[in-house]
Amino acid sequence: MSSSNNTLEIKNLFFEWKEKKKFHLNLKAFSLKKRKRVLILGESGSGKSTLLNIISGIIKPCSGVININQTNITTLPPKKIDYFRASNIGVIFQQFNLLEYISPINNILLPCYFTGFKKKNYKFFHQKAFHLADKLGIKKNILTQNKSKELSVGQKQRIAIIRAIINTPKLILADEPTSALDNKNKIKFIELLFEVCEQEKTTLLMVSHDTSITKHFDDNYLLESINKSL
Amino acid sequence: MRVLTNLAVKSLLSRKVSVILTVVSLTLSISLYLTIDTLRLGAKKSFFGNVKTGDLILGSRSGEIQLLLYSLFQIGNPTNNISWDSYKKISKNTDIEWMVPISLGDSHKQFRVMGTSKAYFERYEYRNEKKLAFQNGNVFNDLFDVVIGSDVAKKLNYNLNDNIVIAHGISSQSLHDEFPFKVKGILKKTGTSVDRLVLVSLKALEVIHKDWKAGIKIPNAKKSNNNNYNDLEPKEITAAIIKIKSPIKIFQIQRQINKYEFEPLQAIIPGISLSKLWQIVSVTENIMLLISAMVIISSFIGMTAILYSTLNGRRKEMALLRIVGASPYTIFTLMITEALIIAISSIFISIFLIQFLALIFFPILDQNYGLYLENKFLSVKDLLFLLSVLFLSVIVSIFPSLKASKDSINEGI
Repeated sequence: MSSSNNTLEIKNLFFEWKEKKKFHLNLKAFSLKKRKRVLILGESGSGKSTLLNIISGIIKPCSGVININQTNITTLPPKKIDYFRASNIGVIFQQFNLLEYISPINNILLPCYFTGFKKKNYKFFHQKAFHLADKLGIKKNILTQNKSKELSVGQKQRIAIIRAIINTPKLILADEPTSALDNKNKIKFIELLFEVCEQEKTTLLMVSHDTSITKHFDDNYLLESINKSL
Repeated sequence: MRVLTNLAVKSLLSRKVSVILTVVSLTLSISLYLTIDTLRLGAKKSFFGNVKTGDLILGSRSGEIQLLLYSLFQIGNPTNNISWDSYKKISKNTDIEWMVPISLGDSHKQFRVMGTSKAYFERYEYRNEKKLAFQNGNVFNDLFDVVIGSDVAKKLNYNLNDNIVIAHGISSQSLHDEFPFKVKGILKKTGTSVDRLVLVSLKALEVIHKDWKAGIKIPNAKKSNNNNYNDLEPKEITAAIIKIKSPIKIFQIQRQINKYEFEPLQAIIPGISLSKLWQIVSVTENIMLLISAMVIISSFIGMTAILYSTLNGRRKEMALLRIVGASPYTIFTLMITEALIIAISSIFISIFLIQFLALIFFPILDQNYGLYLENKFLSVKDLLFLLSVLFLSVIVSIFPSLKASKDSINEGI
């Protein structure tokens, strides 16, 4: 039974790559309560990114159920999955969060374009982007500059946070967003991310190999221990 | 869709060098094809526009194409003349509507002099039943009057009543300087070989050659008395244009002339002879067209190669688009849109390029090579060709686009 208290529920998930049969993902049960911030730790190559790909519906699992906000995305037709992702899931990466040839503001609004600015209009999202940018210490003129190429790593990451949150998603997935940062900036980034999630009442699932950040999260899991290898 | 087009444009602009190179190669190949096609059809039209007068060309027996070339295009030299007696005899045939004699052999500067009758100006037709018209002056009336084609007037800067001297033979230094002619008429531009003709009456040719024999001035001959021009009936002419009353009789009269027993004569149907000539020319023409088609194909292969090679570098870009909600179909459409933008830009630049080239080179071709091309905007055929270029660009970009969308599913982020 899916609980309305869970943003994410994974049941009997099984996945293997067609080419590399040695690797498996096998999650019997995993759930994420609403508005929790959870970290999954794992070595490189343990399948962290693959798991995020599956949760975001980019890759289809071989079997199993993935409920996001009580919608089983494994049964959604392909077209609806992409729409669902744009409106319900925000993703932040370690690097390459932005299309460098378009402006930061357009990068932020990308998910809104793919959901057709649902419910609210363009102006609403535009204003929201500026509002969030202001909070995260990004000046207006930076947001509207022609290209995103010249931004610093820190600016790019903050803009990635705004993009992840702009469509008010239920779930934010973060794929090692801190690994390129030094200790001081790492903590700053996490705090910033938490603050935004708090404001927008969003659940956060981060994957990382960095054990030093575990103390900030509500829950920590080791991927090796939840992934019941065959 | 607007978002996609925007993304495609900006993505292309972020890869300027490879995109510009692709556009340049496509533009050049499209322009090459269109130019060759224009020249090919233009040349054909220009040549065939010359042979609208009359039904048969009468000349001495030689090559069919040779007769055609020297009589109507003034290319090459006549091998032999035909006698005026034969001309008169044939003209008595009741099936013949009219005949216009042509006499060639002399020149003025680099232009040919053609002796003919006044009827020539009424009878001559070119392209779509167009007739000769005068830009200035009128038909020759006096013995030493000449009418010149528009190129002659332009190139030599002649006006009405200017005096000109005719040289004996083609590119000869011996002048008929004792008989200066007066420009009495300048023809309007026709785009045919007439533009490069100096037209005089047959009688005038007879007069200036009176004291000549076998191409040499008889040394001690008295200068003919200018007022005594009796017996000016020509003895020989080079060729004649014949119009038959009823088209059914054309072949019959052609046969009669070819069997003419007093002199070796032949009659040709200019359109048919030119078609025969064109069959030889068209081999080269088709090879050129084939080469330009291959150039187009090779630039398409180049475009596909570039699309493929950029795929690897754009994996993350595609993955990012997928993450923010783009479907594999969107990725596919994005790639196709990019290819279309490249093709459309190339097509538009080509259109402008060939119009620009036409503006510059058509007059030059006309002036230097006598190739008169009508400058018209794209024909239906050209548009069909451009549409097929567009279609082809979609076809060839399907494969890299499919790969991009598949990769974005199979490989994740």
